[in-house]
Amino acid sequence: MAGRLLLVCRLLLRDVRRRRTETVLLVIAISAATGTLTLGLALNDALAGPYERTRAVTAGPDVVATPTATGQQALAALAPLATAPGITAHSGPYPMAYLMLTARGRTVQAVVQGRDDSPAALDRPAVTAGTWVRPGGVVVEPTFANALGVRTGDTVEINGHPLRVVGTAVTAARAVYPSADWRIDSGSPLVQLAGLVWVDSSEISLLADGRPLSYTLNLRLADPHASTSFRHRSTAGIEYTSWVQIAETDGRLVRQAHKALLIGSWLLTILAVAGVAGIVAGRAVEQRRRVGLLKAVGSGPAMVAAVHLAEYLVIGLAAAGTGLAVGWFAAPALTNPGAGLLGSTGVQPPPLRTVVTVTTLALAIAAAATLGPVVRAATTDTVHALNDAATPPRRRRWRVRLSRRMPAALLIGVRVNARRPRRARLVMLNTLITTTALAALLMGLAQDRTVKLGESELANPRDTRTLQAMLLVIVVVCVLALVNAVVTTWSAILDNRHPLAVARALGATPAQVTVGMAVAQTLPAVPGVALGIPAGIVLYVLASNPGIRYAPNAWWFAVALAVLLTIAALTAIPAMLAARRPVADTLRSTPT
Amino acid sequence: MSESALLRARGVTRWYGRGSALVRAVDEVDLEVPAGQTVAVMGPSGCGKSTLLHLLGGLQRPTDGEIWLAGHRIDTMSERALARMRRQHIGFVFQSFHLMDELTAVENVELAALLAGQSPRRARRRALDLLDRVGLADRATHLPSALSGGQRQRVAIARALSNEPLIVLADEPTGNLDSAATLEVLRLFEELRTAGQTLVVVTHDARIAAIADRMISMRDGAFADDSRFAGAGNGSAAGTGTIYGGWR
Repeated sequence: MAGRLLLVCRLLLRDVRRRRTETVLLVIAISAATGTLTLGLALNDALAGPYERTRAVTAGPDVVATPTATGQQALAALAPLATAPGITAHSGPYPMAYLMLTARGRTVQAVVQGRDDSPAALDRPAVTAGTWVRPGGVVVEPTFANALGVRTGDTVEINGHPLRVVGTAVTAARAVYPSADWRIDSGSPLVQLAGLVWVDSSEISLLADGRPLSYTLNLRLADPHASTSFRHRSTAGIEYTSWVQIAETDGRLVRQAHKALLIGSWLLTILAVAGVAGIVAGRAVEQRRRVGLLKAVGSGPAMVAAVHLAEYLVIGLAAAGTGLAVGWFAAPALTNPGAGLLGSTGVQPPPLRTVVTVTTLALAIAAAATLGPVVRAATTDTVHALNDAATPPRRRRWRVRLSRRMPAALLIGVRVNARRPRRARLVMLNTLITTTALAALLMGLAQDRTVKLGESELANPRDTRTLQAMLLVIVVVCVLALVNAVVTTWSAILDNRHPLAVARALGATPAQVTVGMAVAQTLPAVPGVALGIPAGIVLYVLASNPGIRYAPNAWWFAVALAVLLTIAALTAIPAMLAARRPVADTLRSTPT
Repeated sequence: MSESALLRARGVTRWYGRGSALVRAVDEVDLEVPAGQTVAVMGPSGCGKSTLLHLLGGLQRPTDGEIWLAGHRIDTMSERALARMRRQHIGFVFQSFHLMDELTAVENVELAALLAGQSPRRARRRALDLLDRVGLADRATHLPSALSGGQRQRVAIARALSNEPLIVLADEPTGNLDSAATLEVLRLFEELRTAGQTLVVVTHDARIAAIADRMISMRDGAFADDSRFAGAGNGSAAGTGTIYGGWR
């Protein structure tokens, strides 16, 4: 047993060392899928984690109470709450005004809260840049500051009163921009999108120009379950918002991005399986002889299968580790900066659940793509394997007949394509996934990614984040698709060296052979593109909220053309290089 | 040198490698083949016979020298022009047959004609006719895997004749065949010679050399001997359409 194990390990190490490029490509392919899945799972944690951390650091309240009344009436309504039974702590009431803020030429709605530097039992906003409020200064919630494009030291106007931005701070007592709930009149039940700012309490009346002020009171309940039993309710003229509601609203900031990453990881998984299958199929031809040798010296099918599977499983494990590391460390880029919350993923080691899920995915990809070739290798006849005979190409009668009526380049392309239908299917799948992802991205780009806050429009952080996630997915998809395309093209060129050399000996020109190869690779890509565009649209529609815009038709034509031309060019270049090799050399080296 | 020669080679040289590893596969060879002549090139393995054949057919370029076919200098031609030359004027027969595994016998034979732009109907008619002449009419729809070695080589010969070439270049056409199959191929070459087809055959087989008009012996990349037999190179039948008509 030990001897067999040693043999398996030895063969594994030698093979990995001998085929470094293929091993690296396999690791890249699987890592792309595992990395994106890690990112998706990390973002899943980001939906809850940062809010909870922010709540802990800022002593976030369990419930925020805001009367519909204003002025003294509001203060009178809130007064008994502070000492009500079941309340263990409170802060406030703090004055609030729903005003217009002007920054960089844009006037938008802002919820302005009056605060001072006296210690508060609850809701102590954590300053993330600059300082806390002081007279003449304003502190802006970071997501709002990002959308406005303001930094510490800039000057903004609130209701025409200039104030200096002295800092940015985060709170768990109110949802981040654009969900800070602005009201056209204090006490109005209708809320609109806005951002949150803090000013010195002494200045808020002046900024409000005498308009009646609202008030808000932060409460801590003795019974923690009491705050999780509801989200929002209105009782006796007071609106109560629980921390659960605020956490959910903040979570929406990355929810769509999380969905995009998870869907992206599915697409990448399919792409990775296709890529690994392509590489493994290419290697299977070379490994056939080794299988014959192993069998000739007494190895059984189980031993042959173990030698091959072990190698791919080790590669799968390496890719799982790489994907986990890359995905986990890349996660903060999508949750920070300016999430309006404290802390992020990527700081702590990934949870066991994520490690297990990602490792399972990597091993599943490796197993799914390799099981077929491994079983075939294990059951191959020894003499046949020793003869190193490649699997004979398929004969597609109708394609041969159809191609007879075509010009030489097309005839070559159709026949080359017909020889290896499995490879053609891989090309189609590769194109389908890439086009689906590109089409979904185009749909994302076609949407209005701004929110209207009064007279002006500002960037919507949710859409910005979703687009960032989609861009990340599409970059990884394109890289992986490119790797797959190069691998498939090279294996196609190597596999077709002989028929192309014969065609050239019979009078086909290098240009006809090159175009023929490009046609052979592009033909299966056509249905991939044709199906990928509607698939991408449907995927986007299903994963999005209602009221979406469709991208213009010109975009679809452009993406279809770009994908097909890229595949044609990717094939034409190596085919052109291969066509430079003298025909006689190829014919001598590939006897039939 | 005669200006009427169909194929002419002057000082043709092909080297491989450099310095101490330099190999002179073909070393300053002069050759003239009139139309209708059958030339057998013989010699030990590695003497440069196959390389010479590849050079004459434009499958490889010489390091030095000139090669003329039907009045055109081919060693300086572009790849595109060379391809056209092969398509229109040269037929190849290889030791390893080089048939397409996924195509039937008739589809293999018509391939050259289709690449040359002939209509599918005409290409098919010609292919069937050629298969009939090589005695394989009943095997037209068989895949190469279902044919014997001799039958495969006969398909390859039919393919070489598909575009009515001026010259057929055969590289060890009986090298992979048993005695019976060799006799079948010999019979075909004999018929081609009689029909006036210009043939250059690289071979180890003395029986093929026996049916040639001329036999060239090669050693170390150069011609060691050039023997012409009675009636050699008369070229009387080339392109006349009488004796040739049987194959054209």
